[in-house]
Amino acid sequence: MIAADISAVLPEIVLSVYAMGALLLAVYTRKDEVAQMLVWATSGMLVLVALWIALSVQDSRTAFNGMFIDDGYSRFAKVMILASAAAVLFMSQEYMERRGLLRFEYPILITLAVVGMMVMVSAGDLMALYMGLELQSLALYVVAALRRDSVKSTEAGLKYFVLGALGSGLLLYGASLTYGYAGTTQFAGIVTTATEGELSLGLLFGLVFLAAGLAFKVSAAPFHMWTPDVYEGSPTPVTAFFATAPKVAAMLLFGRLLHGAFGEAVADWQQIIAFLSVISMFVGGIAAIGQTNIKRLMAYSSIAHMGFALMGLAAGTALGVQAMLVYMAIYVTMNIGAFAFILSMERNGQPVTDIASLRMYSRRDPLRALAMLVLMFSLAGVPPLVGFFGKFYVLTAAVDAGLTWLAVAGVIASVIGAFYYLRIVYFMYFGEETEPLDGEVQPVLTVFLLASAGAMVLGVFNLFGIEAFAAAAAATLVQ
Amino acid sequence: MLIIMALLPFLGALLPSLMIRAGRNACAIFTALPTFLALVILLILSPSVMRGEVLQAELAWLPQIGLSASFFLDGLGLLFAGMILGVGLLITLYARFYLSGEDPMGQFYTFLLLFQGAMLGIVLSDNILLLLVFWELTSLSSFLLIGYWKHLPEGRQGARMALAVTGSGGLAMIAGMLILGNIVGSYNLTDILQAGDAIRASDWYLPALILILLGAFTKSAQFPFHFWLPQAMAAPTPVSAYLHSATMVKAGVFLMARMWPVLSGTDAWFNIVTTTGLITMVLGALIALFKNDLKALLAYSTVSQLGLMTMLLGFGTQVAAVAAVFHIINHLTFKAALFMTAGIVDHETHTRDIRRLGGLRHLMPVTFVIATISALSMAGIPFLNGFLSKEMMLEEASHTGLFGSPSALPILATIGALLSVAYSFRFVVHVFLGPVRDDYPHKPHDPPFGMWAAPALLACLVVLIGVAPFLAEGIVTAAANAVTGADLHPHFKIWHGFTPALWMSVVAVVSGAILLLQYGMLDRVWEALPRPEAKTIFDHLVAAVVAGARRVTEITHNGAISRYLAIFTIASVALGWVAYSGGGLGPRTRDLLAVPLVVAVGWLMLIVATGYVVVNHHHRFRALVLIGVIGLTVSAGFVYLSAPDLALTQISVETVTIMLLLLALHFLPKVTPRESSLALRLRDGAIATVAGLGVGGLAYAFLLRDTDTISDYFIANSYEGGGGTNVVNVILVDFRGFDTYGEIIVLGIAGFLIFSLMHALLDGPAAKRLRARDYSQDRSHDRHPLMMVVVTRVLMPIAMVVGIYIFLRGHNAPGGGFVAGLVVAIALLMQYMASGFAWTQARKRIEYHTLIGMGVVIAGLTGAGAWLFGQPFLTSAYTYVHIAPVEEFELATAMLFDLGVFLTVLGAVMLMLYSLSRIARFAGETVNMEPMDYDPSEHVDDGKVKV
Repeated sequence: MIAADISAVLPEIVLSVYAMGALLLAVYTRKDEVAQMLVWATSGMLVLVALWIALSVQDSRTAFNGMFIDDGYSRFAKVMILASAAAVLFMSQEYMERRGLLRFEYPILITLAVVGMMVMVSAGDLMALYMGLELQSLALYVVAALRRDSVKSTEAGLKYFVLGALGSGLLLYGASLTYGYAGTTQFAGIVTTATEGELSLGLLFGLVFLAAGLAFKVSAAPFHMWTPDVYEGSPTPVTAFFATAPKVAAMLLFGRLLHGAFGEAVADWQQIIAFLSVISMFVGGIAAIGQTNIKRLMAYSSIAHMGFALMGLAAGTALGVQAMLVYMAIYVTMNIGAFAFILSMERNGQPVTDIASLRMYSRRDPLRALAMLVLMFSLAGVPPLVGFFGKFYVLTAAVDAGLTWLAVAGVIASVIGAFYYLRIVYFMYFGEETEPLDGEVQPVLTVFLLASAGAMVLGVFNLFGIEAFAAAAAATLVQ
Repeated sequence: MLIIMALLPFLGALLPSLMIRAGRNACAIFTALPTFLALVILLILSPSVMRGEVLQAELAWLPQIGLSASFFLDGLGLLFAGMILGVGLLITLYARFYLSGEDPMGQFYTFLLLFQGAMLGIVLSDNILLLLVFWELTSLSSFLLIGYWKHLPEGRQGARMALAVTGSGGLAMIAGMLILGNIVGSYNLTDILQAGDAIRASDWYLPALILILLGAFTKSAQFPFHFWLPQAMAAPTPVSAYLHSATMVKAGVFLMARMWPVLSGTDAWFNIVTTTGLITMVLGALIALFKNDLKALLAYSTVSQLGLMTMLLGFGTQVAAVAAVFHIINHLTFKAALFMTAGIVDHETHTRDIRRLGGLRHLMPVTFVIATISALSMAGIPFLNGFLSKEMMLEEASHTGLFGSPSALPILATIGALLSVAYSFRFVVHVFLGPVRDDYPHKPHDPPFGMWAAPALLACLVVLIGVAPFLAEGIVTAAANAVTGADLHPHFKIWHGFTPALWMSVVAVVSGAILLLQYGMLDRVWEALPRPEAKTIFDHLVAAVVAGARRVTEITHNGAISRYLAIFTIASVALGWVAYSGGGLGPRTRDLLAVPLVVAVGWLMLIVATGYVVVNHHHRFRALVLIGVIGLTVSAGFVYLSAPDLALTQISVETVTIMLLLLALHFLPKVTPRESSLALRLRDGAIATVAGLGVGGLAYAFLLRDTDTISDYFIANSYEGGGGTNVVNVILVDFRGFDTYGEIIVLGIAGFLIFSLMHALLDGPAAKRLRARDYSQDRSHDRHPLMMVVVTRVLMPIAMVVGIYIFLRGHNAPGGGFVAGLVVAIALLMQYMASGFAWTQARKRIEYHTLIGMGVVIAGLTGAGAWLFGQPFLTSAYTYVHIAPVEEFELATAMLFDLGVFLTVLGAVMLMLYSLSRIARFAGETVNMEPMDYDPSEHVDDGKVKV
């Protein structure tokens, strides 16, 4: 019994043990001097675990009396989380090293956050949900403030922590109400109580506050306030990390909760999620227009993108979940590429985040400028790039579910969004020349940038088959 | 074959870049090659299409979202494909001579082919999603083409504006297409075209119509989106001729024609499309007349002509549709020729300013002939093709009423025609006629044959169709039938008799000529009139949007966490309201309990104390004291509600935390600064009140209703399963033993953490600040009052006994390891406070670290012990023991576990205290080794005697 349980969570256990082992190793040897080695090792470890999960064919199974679910949905999520975390970690090594930020805690905290995310997406119980969420959040609070000598970074960490605590509080309040009125913390049990049209007020409140807490974690408006400040204040690699893996984990946890625990009461949450979605898309789009700092811009962009992903969830159908999964996979790929570019923005060895510094970038580095152009258009959802298919998937799902108004609103928001993505392209291709950025770029960043942009172009043929996996994953969640 | 044709330009797009090394001619030839091949295929396919067949081909792409690479070719597609490829070929030729040696030609041709492929894709797509894909591709590739001359600032501006307008329109169209697909249930154009009735009857018809028209209007530069087209004229002339006269701007017209069977025929369609077209036609022509830049004149004339086509499609009649299709062909021929001649003039004289030109007739006779033929056709002079379609337009306009007025449309249409006559004449008269000047920036002469061949060919077509219009009947019929879905057989004649249209035409030509004669005066009037400049408006609009967005962002994201929290709270309350209004609240099942006086007093105390804390939180000590009051009241509340365990825990936790806080506050400022204004505080107060009322109301609502709780289970199983009658304690050490185990570990870690943080702190700069600390208040002269020392020492053993007693009875009566740990900690704390740190420390036998470690280990071992008996971790066992003379008592493994809890709690609390007292010592706190052994009278002023 216990052996079966443990085998289901073996990847998480392996990573946890690895994290603790690495911690001990670093503490008892040469501390920060082993940090570089640890970053490589951790990236490798994450990739290995991702491969392990991806290649092990398993039926859906539960462990620890249903607290932990290992199904296609969670495996899809875990592969995304692990791969993106590994990519970001791999990209960040040199940046952190040069700024003297490469502490040995960094890869370890990332590993712990990843473990938390893996627990989140596998949660079959409110307890497991909260445990995973907090493990992730606590690790993230610390990495946000990794640059201790910078006021902005520490402020970002503190803000994130205070607001995060409030979000967690809200979530816990919702969880306790849910528990009180469903009589169980297990999703499988809640779903039998929470049926369409008969949701008691207590459960409804529970649902609403759980949703609010998770909305905070996915940085959906109006719970998004922390995002721009944290994105701006954190060291760029950490920002890149924030923009990818945690978003996937929180969004998929959201899906798990809504469908796993409240899947029989779609009508009761559909409007709420649709509301979050539409607000996020517009707030993200409108606020991004005036930004001059590319990190803040990416923050608002991620808020808008989360709005689109939520649109898939709001559909409340298997197609909607599939659309959300496809969307997140595409989103993560695009963001890795975009951050590979942002990480390379330097002038005289100092990082620059001002958009205006990109003026006439195309003249100095046509290839990278072209790749960035592809990514920006893809982020804007312009056909035929892959980003368009992600958007189209969620729009189709929303229209199919009768949420045509939401789809129309989404398209209008994407028009607004196109404005600021195009502005970056405009600067790169036509702006007036200013002081140029440093020409030398680490090869690893270029590789990631080009790979990501290439994926946006080549993916138009069949999206690399990702939607078949997403469909299978969605089918395990929504029966 | 169809698919190959559609993909040829894309496949060929790489060739020019590869071939540029082989020279400019090779490059041009290899650009022409794929175009030529595609044209050949088109010709092979055309006979069957002309017979009315529809060719289809399909490749699966992403069928899950309804996207397939399916193409079809009907009359309309044939017409447009022919135009795109034919003009493409001519432009390739023209550009070869037009572009100079320094321009990167390979890149140019690559973009051109990409654009051509995208354009071809639009007209051949059988899937509206595929159409969208190509639609946006044209925006993208045209962006690159317009911005081709990057050194020109207008080029950049133009490219950006064009992309912003057309790209956004295209995105809006996605929504429209989605709705269409949803109504029909398929994204295939052939299916959609069959479902016109269903679409027009749908509730979503109007939004879909508006969204699709947005796409079409932006692309075809219709009012009020007309401004981007002239701005895009900074592009090289071949691009202007190709994109902005022949193909891309017609994409919008194409789409309207394509969707004509489905969308037209309603009032909404008629009103929107006709009005827009009419306004665009008149306005465009008016502006064109006064433009001095040759290309700007042509650009606005294109806007005007596009408006004409849009208006015709808007009429919704079959004859008008035929006229529209016919005019598409005619406009293509004369306008492309005109653009190319304008390019030649620019190329030769190095200026496009009409005011600096004139008399070119003698210097460039060939160009003059081509330009004159094309311009006269544009003016609608008989025996040229422009006359035919304009006549048809006026005929239709003459009997169409708009908004209830039968004469408005004919009059406005005539004015439009009149203005277009005027600007066409101006193009010829002011550029080519008049005396030869000697101040041209560059001495002009006719260009090489390669450059004028293309426009000459087009001019020949203009005459040919004008004289023998039946030649165009075949293709127009095929296209018009594809548009209307009917079986029409139009016959074009030059002479229709003295129809109203002819008179309108005569009026237009005559007054147009008069207008031009008076041009000098008109121009002064025009210059004097205030007129909105589209570009400035656009720029201001963009700036306003950016400023507005910035303002919104500044208001909501000003970086102040208090604002974030306010928004967060409001959003939560709003969500709560949503949930509340969702219903589902059952009827009340419980009555309120009676409220005796003591409860009312307690409640009042709670409220007053809380209010006081909120108002006076700047005074930390006062606030702390009041918090203590709140805690005690809450404890009393627990007692009143028969929850002795909770009360006991609450009161001991309260005591310990208040004491520790008190110690910590000693080193902090006594008063916190006021940072928020009164208004801000009022706002926050209001938000907090609403949120508080919400939560209170929620609690109230729930408490008045019975629910199934899990208490019954614990009450039933506490004795059976855990061997204890104190349910709370059994839950802690048994049912939820795992939680408790985790908690004590966390508590222990917290203790260690505080200790080590303090350690790190005191090594750093903080230590220096502490040493230099200046106490604001006078300190007590008697640091360790005798009375207090005595009392605490007497109390110590008593407190210890109480602690042990509480510990032992825990399993069956209120108490337990946690409370006991706190009680003992309080007993020790008192010693520290009364007798001083060093004195107490010297008498300490066990390290606190060890205490914590022991606690965790004991609890862990107890839990693990269960494994020895084949039970899961933390399974408890109990038995009853009888040892004379003691009464029978119970021994449970849970007791041992509780001991672990006890030790950890004690260790953690004391470690925190130890950490705080370390700060105190750094801050110069007195350390007395023997507090009772000294005479207070000797140390009156200062306690710093023995350190």
